Order: sequence, then structure tokens, then C-alpha cells
Amino acid sequence: MKKTPLYFTFVLALLMLLAACQPQVITETVEVEVTRVVTETETVVEEVEVVKEVEVEKVVETEVEVEKIVEVNPVVFNSYSSDPVVRAFEEKMVAAYSDANPNSPVQHTIVNHEDFKQAIRAYLVAEPAPDVLTWFAGNRARFFIDKGQILPISDVWEEEGWNEDFPKGFRAMSEVDGEVYFLPTSWYWWAIFYRTDIFEEYGITPPETWDELIAACETLDGAGLIPITIGTKFRWTAAAWFDYLNMRINGPQFHIDLMLGKESYTDPRVKEVFVKWTELFDANCFIDDAAAYSWQEAVDPLNQGDAAMYLMGQFVMDPIADEIEDKIDFFQFPIIDPSVPIGEDAPTDGFFIAANAANPEGAKELLGYMGSLEAQTLMVEEMGRLPTHNGVDSSLFTPQQQKGIELINKADMVVQFFDRDTTPEMADVGMNGMMAFWDDPTQIDAILEELEAARLEIFGEE
Amino acid sequence: MASINPPKPERKGLTTGQWLMVLFLLVFTLVYMLPFLGAIVTAFRTPDDISLNGFWSIPREITFRNFPEAIQRGGVSRFLLNSFIITIPALIGTIILSSLSAYALARHRFAGNKFIYFMYVAGTMLPFQILLLPVFLLSNNLCVQEAYELGQFVLNVPFVDAKVCLYNSYLGVIMIHIAFQMGFCTFVLRNFMRSIPGEIMDAARIDGANEFGIYWRIVMPLTLPGIAAVSTLEFTWIFNDYIWALILLSDGRKFPVTQGLSGLQGQFTTDWPLITAGALVATLPTLVVFFALQRYFIGGLTLGGVK
Amino acid sequence: MAIAEKPKLNKQKVNRAPYYFILPPLVIYLVWIIGPVFYTFYLSMTDWDGISPNAEFIGLENFQKLFGSIGSVLPSAFEYSLYNNLVWLLVFITVPTAIGLGLAILLNQGLPGERLFKVGIFLPQVLSFAVIALIWSWVYNPRAGILNEILLMFGWPEDNLPGWLADKQLAIWAVIFAAAWRQIGYIMILYVAGLKNVPPTLMEAAEVDGATPWQRFWRITFPLLAPVTTIVIVISVIDSLRSFDLVQIMTRGGPANSTSVLANLMYIQAFNNYKFGLGAATAVVLFGISLVFIIVYLWRVMQDELEY
Repeated sequence: MKKTPLYFTFVLALLMLLAACQPQVITETVEVEVTRVVTETETVVEEVEVVKEVEVEKVVETEVEVEKIVEVNPVVFNSYSSDPVVRAFEEKMVAAYSDANPNSPVQHTIVNHEDFKQAIRAYLVAEPAPDVLTWFAGNRARFFIDKGQILPISDVWEEEGWNEDFPKGFRAMSEVDGEVYFLPTSWYWWAIFYRTDIFEEYGITPPETWDELIAACETLDGAGLIPITIGTKFRWTAAAWFDYLNMRINGPQFHIDLMLGKESYTDPRVKEVFVKWTELFDANCFIDDAAAYSWQEAVDPLNQGDAAMYLMGQFVMDPIADEIEDKIDFFQFPIIDPSVPIGEDAPTDGFFIAANAANPEGAKELLGYMGSLEAQTLMVEEMGRLPTHNGVDSSLFTPQQQKGIELINKADMVVQFFDRDTTPEMADVGMNGMMAFWDDPTQIDAILEELEAARLEIFGEE
Repeated sequence: MASINPPKPERKGLTTGQWLMVLFLLVFTLVYMLPFLGAIVTAFRTPDDISLNGFWSIPREITFRNFPEAIQRGGVSRFLLNSFIITIPALIGTIILSSLSAYALARHRFAGNKFIYFMYVAGTMLPFQILLLPVFLLSNNLCVQEAYELGQFVLNVPFVDAKVCLYNSYLGVIMIHIAFQMGFCTFVLRNFMRSIPGEIMDAARIDGANEFGIYWRIVMPLTLPGIAAVSTLEFTWIFNDYIWALILLSDGRKFPVTQGLSGLQGQFTTDWPLITAGALVATLPTLVVFFALQRYFIGGLTLGGVK
Repeated sequence: MAIAEKPKLNKQKVNRAPYYFILPPLVIYLVWIIGPVFYTFYLSMTDWDGISPNAEFIGLENFQKLFGSIGSVLPSAFEYSLYNNLVWLLVFITVPTAIGLGLAILLNQGLPGERLFKVGIFLPQVLSFAVIALIWSWVYNPRAGILNEILLMFGWPEDNLPGWLADKQLAIWAVIFAAAWRQIGYIMILYVAGLKNVPPTLMEAAEVDGATPWQRFWRITFPLLAPVTTIVIVISVIDSLRSFDLVQIMTRGGPANSTSVLANLMYIQAFNNYKFGLGAATAVVLFGISLVFIIVYLWRVMQDELEY
């Protein structure tokens, strides 16, 4: 009995000791910076002392001033680049910048990609907000611009010469009422990526028409393979199918009008999209239980040779196993109606400065580096996305990248992506609708009515 | 004092029925632990082995690289440290503040006693989601201007002369944990303190002890089993928090291990052994706390939590 | 069990000491808990987007919108969430409680290896939701998960394996099951402790009187365990209202909202769709559900208090 409190006190003391130890451990990482600052201060102070050997008091004063000059003023950079390849590039870029700017080191925080999409709301309202953030170009940035959450950076564009160095389209998507708010740094194409060895084995050529795609599904399904893999746990992967079906059937202009709330979801043209989509289910095109997998997990069957195709952005190459990288190629989403202009998804990503940034000057410098030829070249080499800077040496592009650029250049119209082209709330409702459709394709009418009701409410407000 | 040590049974021969029960329990426990055992095994495997043969196959290859890898490259040690920086002060704060009010509520009659007590009791079942938005706003608006010293020391914010807010500080997360856990803790401790015989306190009062002295030197030591009990529970609750850290922190260097794991999943997407190893390391502290305090855990909670 | 006595009072003068004890915690509680609760009530009646300085007061419109969405051809996210929350609560206060109690009784008989069984069954409780979500995602993985492997072993047709988390009907049960897995051991431990307080003499007496084991359980053990049952139910309610993490990591509310719970819906509305007002209204509905339990529980506690 008597031992009871004693024992507990001991455990508590141990825990407290543990707690007491922690701050020391933390400073270890910080210490490196601190010592560097001190040494700089010392050298400068020495110089000062050599110049004027007056009163001791004055020396002290100058010392204080000097200290302020070399003060470290970090730039806080929050990013969603949690996937390995993107993370590796970003860390390299940040390291390069921090090395070159010891007085303005970057505090780089990488948040889980899917969590970041929601947490950014808190980041931007916070005071101070992180200085620089990753985000999607287009409407998803536009929302924050309209709310005054993003710092205009026309001056940076001017200074860095981006107005000349970047294709006009990129400026246009970053601009609201003549002010530029966004720095697009990379873009990529969407296409159906496939295993060349599997296609060869079953004598399939990359489908150019709808019927060929269905036929390919039937062949592969008959051979016991998964024709098309997809992971819809986070929903947006399914939206790519909607984007492409809608663009191929109704043309990109109708698609964009629908995204902007100008067309009705109960329009028979939208229904046709879902009816066409049903044909894919009927042909057993998709992997079973797609909702159980994230997009990365759905790459596994492709890696293992169990699945043949995947409609994805270029970033699908990141989790592809090294051994089979040369067995992966891509083809344009098949044409359904040859009379319809061709639209392609080609989303652009980039960076912006928060309006609440604590260090906007440092942020602008960092942004300047992020859009520079040097950083852009590094991005192409490390990440394999396409650069926004005109000056990047095109000989750096892999044959696959060349093919991707060609695919986009051929398009009559380029759009971003479902959840970037419409409003966040409409995207949420829309993707839920697609999931409900995926679960039960007979519910098309009910789903579309719901989407239409949401559209009227969301776009009616504005 | 209650403990989970059963009275040592006299080992007579077991009846058939008892043997069946043991058999049932054995099978049940094994099946029950299967997912957990699977995770432990996975942490020692290689990703290639898993992608070729599946999660639940017999391992062909055993490796120890996952643990150091997760701790160093995945930064699990750093996240773990943050979890402690948040959990330990939050736990201590919760216990001290709750025991203060528990003492007053249990041992004094004053206007509003019952009302305050019921408020805490009601708070125990409050869904924390209802607080999410306001607490975010609150943390974002409780700021100190020019808080260099404070910023350096308490909040670990490196920049000078900046406005420092509770948002994105350890303190902000700690405060909401303290406040939120106070209801349950006060409730348990108050009931526990009520069971302490009043004569001890009266004797101390006659000896000239003041109220704080009675609280600190007499009531608190006697309440230790109860405190140990709620501590284990609170430790797991606070340590395993995910959402408050997500909403109240933006600086990755302050993320607790729950957030870190989520990042790990992004970083190593399909390197399951590595992720599992990180997850197991992250679980270790709660395991240690539980086994260290388990003796007090049960007795304390039932004695105080229910009367 | 309570040896509590009436607090000794000093009636000569107003004793200010208790207020010194009560005040510091109370201030924190009011600022961080009570204040925010009321603020959420206020927000739920606005159309605030989380950024704009001004929010318009729109009365009960948000609630009308939420409840108005019930009963459409396709269940709305709110309908799913409300339903799932209620199912979760009901399952949580019954099934794990019953299993935990059953195990506790089995483990209270001095069988060999008891301690090991207890530890083994309790272990999941210390795991964080993130780890539990991770582990169970593999168990449920339709392609390589152990559940489907076992089904295959028993001759389940390969092309008809359940999708578990991908199956709209099964998913919520799969998530609740994972949550219950964590809960059962904890409840078992509480009951084991409670059973220690059931005097063996009472049972022996009943046995002598010819009571069957079943009668002994319902007439003696269970009533004596009532205090433990109360705390078990309180903790079950607390934990089931905290279901956020598991859903967030395992399914994100999918497929097609079928595993959405009010907490996740609120989070999506506020932080993804930028409808803080609607999110707050959802939180208020969640509060309403827990209020039922709070009132029942408070009533119980009050009954006890009035005995003094």
C-alpha cells in the first residue's frame, strides 16, 4: 500500500524528466543556425573595431546594430508535395535556395497532400500565414484571390521578366483584373497510360476510337486481366473520366460552360456522358472495388502486370516501379465523335504568397527563385513535369515528355481539371454524384437532378 | 486498493468445461490479435516481398532497416518528440487544474457548486467537433505583439518582433487539450476525492493547515491512484489526437506523430513495412504508459468514476 | 462503495477558499469550451464563409437545408451522416459492452493464462486511430487483404469477393467493426475490475438458495455492475462521437458518402466547401444527439447527488 504513491511519483518524475529534456534536443537543430549567426556577427564586429577605436560604449552600440543586419529572417513555405518524387524535388530546390540565402532560410513544411487541401483554409486565415504555399492554378486559386487571401505579385513578374519568359496563357490563368497573383511552375498532361508488354501480348494497339477501347477491355477482361485500374478513394480520379467523356462527346466548350455553371446538369447531353460511361462498366473495363484504393494503391496492379491501363496525369509515372518504367507508354483518350473539337486536361500547379504572410519580401525572393530558369530546369530533371518557363532547354525533355507536349499542342482547347474548373462545393457534390453513379449506374437521372439542384443553389448565389 | 491481480486460484485439475473456455479464449485472443501481429510482422519485411507475395503471406525475407529508416528519414523521432511536448504539459495541466476544481467541488459547499459540477459532467460528452471552428478562430486571435522572448522560449517561434498567436504554437494545442479533457478529469477526480474520509482533513485544519496545504499535502497524495487512472486514459486520448493538430498547427516542425504518420504515408506511399514500422514506434509511448500505470488504471477509475 | 461524507463546513464566515480553487480552471473552461459552444450556435445561423469579415444572419436556413435534404431519391450526405452516427452510437453502446462483459466474466474465474488473454485483448486500445485505420485497411483490402484470403480458403467464389470498404452497404459496418475492435478490450478491463467488487459470499449464498447461473448474473452480478456499466456507456458515447479520425483515414466518408459521419461532413463543409455556417449547423446537430445522452446522464448523476 505504501509503495503505491511512491511508485507513481517515480513514474511521473521520469515522465517530467523526459519532458524537461526535450527542449534541449530541439535546439540541436536550431543551434546550427545560431552559431552561424554568431560567427558572422563576430567577423563584422572585428571590422568595425578596426575602423574606429573610440569608446567602448559605441562599440557595443554598433554591435547591436550589426546583429540586426545579419538577423535570420526565414521564409515559411508550406506545401502539399507529400509524394516521394515531388517531395524530393522540392527539398532539393529549397536546399539550393537556403544555401544561397543564408539570411533567409526556408522553413519547409510538407503536409499530406489530401489533408493540405482542407488545412489551407486555416493556413490562409491565420496570422501570420505561411509565406509561400503550393496550390493549383485556375479556379481553385481564384476563390482565394477573390477573398483577398493572396498577395498580388505583378511586381515579381515584372522584375523577373516572366511576362516575356512565360507563355501568355500562363499569365492569363494567374491574372485577375490586371494583377497577377500566382506563379505557375509546372504542368502535365492527362492520358491513358498502359503496359506496352501486355498490349503486345494480346495484340492490342492503342485504341483511337471508343469501339477500340471497348474491344480492348473485352480482350483483356477475357484474359483474366484488369483492363483499367483506378483508385477512387479520394474521388477525383473518377472525375477525369467525366472530363474526357464530356469533352469527347459534347466538346470542351460545353464542358467548361458546365463547369462554370452556365449549362444544366439535367441537359440530355450530360446524361449521354453517363450513358457512355455505363458502357465501360458493361464491358467490365474497371478494376473491382475501386473505392478501396488511393490512386497510388491502384498503381500496384499496373506494376504487378495485373492491370493494363490507367487514365491519369503524367505523375502516375512517379510510383511506377523502375523495372517497368520502359514498359509504360500512353495514348490520347479515344475519340468518340470526330466532329467535336478536341479538349485535353492539362492541369497547372504552382505557388503563391499569402496576403497574411509575415515575410512578404523574403517570400517574393523565394518565388523569384522558384520561377527562375535554374529551378525550372531542376524541376524538369527531377520531377519530369513540364516547365512553364520558355527558356528551359528542350533537349532535356524525354521522348515521353515530347510526346506529351505534342498531345497538348494538338488539342483545340486545354482545360485544367474537374475540381479546378468548377467551384469547390460544386466539385464536392459532383464527385459524390460520380461515386454514387459508380456504385449504381442505374441511378443516373436521380444523380443528375441532385447535381442540378446543387448547381442552381451554388451558382444562383453569385 | 483494487488491482487486476486475480486471487491466485488453487490449481486443482480443470474441468472439461474450463478447458473448453481456455481453448476458446486462446483462439479468440489469437484471432483478436491477428491484425496487430500482422502489423508487427509487416514491419520486418521488405516492400518487394509484400508486393510479390501479399501482406498476409509468410515472410521470405526479414529486415531490420525499416525502424531506423522510419525514425531518421521519416522523421518519426522528431514527430514523437512533438507529441511529448504537447502531451506531457497538457496532461500535467489537465490533472492540476482538474484536481483544483475537483477538490473545491468535492470538499466545499458554495453557491454554484452543483451547477459547475454539472457543467463539467455535461462537457464530458460534448462532441469536440462543435468546438473546431471557434477554437481555431480563438487561437488565431489570441496574440502577443513583439513577443520575442516569449516566442523563443514558449512557442519556439524563431522570428523577431513578429506578432505571435496561439495558432501554430504548441501552447495552442496544449490549451485546447487541457480545456477539453478537464470535464472528464474533474468528474472522476471529484468523485474520487469525495471518498476520502473527512477526518483527515479536519485534523489538518485543526493543526493550522491552510486550504492549499490540505489540497496539496493531504488530498492530492490520497488521490494519486485516481490520478494515475485518468492519466493513462488522458495520455492515450491526447497522444492520439489527429484533428486538433491538423487545424491548429501549420509548421511541420511542430507536428505530432499522428500527423507525421499521415505524412509518412504520403512520403512512402506503398512502402508499407516502413510505414508500419513508423506506426509501431509511434505506438510505443502509449504502450509504455499503459504497462507502467495499468495497476492503478482500473482501480482508480472505477472507484472514482462511479459511486 | 462510496465512503463519501458530507463536506465539513465552516459556517461562521463565508469561505472564499473554494473560489480560488474553482476559478482558474473555470476561466479556461469558459473560454475554450463553453464560449465556443455558444459561438458555434451563432455561426450555425449565419452564412459565413470563413474569410469574409461579415456574416449574414440567416436564422434557421442552414438547418432547413440540412433536414430538407433528407428523403430525396439518393440519400444526401447529411442523411447518411445522421444515420451512420446513430447506428454507430447504438452499436457502440451495446455490442462492445456485451462482448466486453462476456469476456470479463470468462476471465474472472481464475483460468490459466488469464493475464495474457487480458493483455492481448486490451492491446488495440493503446493504438492510435491512424494505426488502427492502417491495419484494418489491409485486413479489408479486397485484393490482398486477409479477410478475402480467408474467404477464398473457405471456397468463396473468387469473382464475387466482398469489397468491404469499397462496398456501399458493408463499408460503415467495416469501419464500426474496426472501432469496436479497439473498444472491447477496454470495456473488458473495466468490467474485470468491477467484478472484483462483487462479493463472492453473495454469489455463494445465491447458489445455495438454488439460483441458476443465469439468475445469478441478472439478479446479482449485473445490478452490482451498474456503476461500471454507466462509465462504460459514457466512454462509449464519447468515443463514438469521436469517430472522425477513423472515417477520415479509412474511407474519407466514401464510397458515395456511405460512411460519412456528421463530424466528417462538418469538416468537409467548412474546410473544403467553405461553408462555415453550414458546417456549424452540422456540428449543432451532432451536439443535439449527444445532448440526449448528456441529459440522461446528468439526470442519473443528479439522482445520486440528491441522495446526500
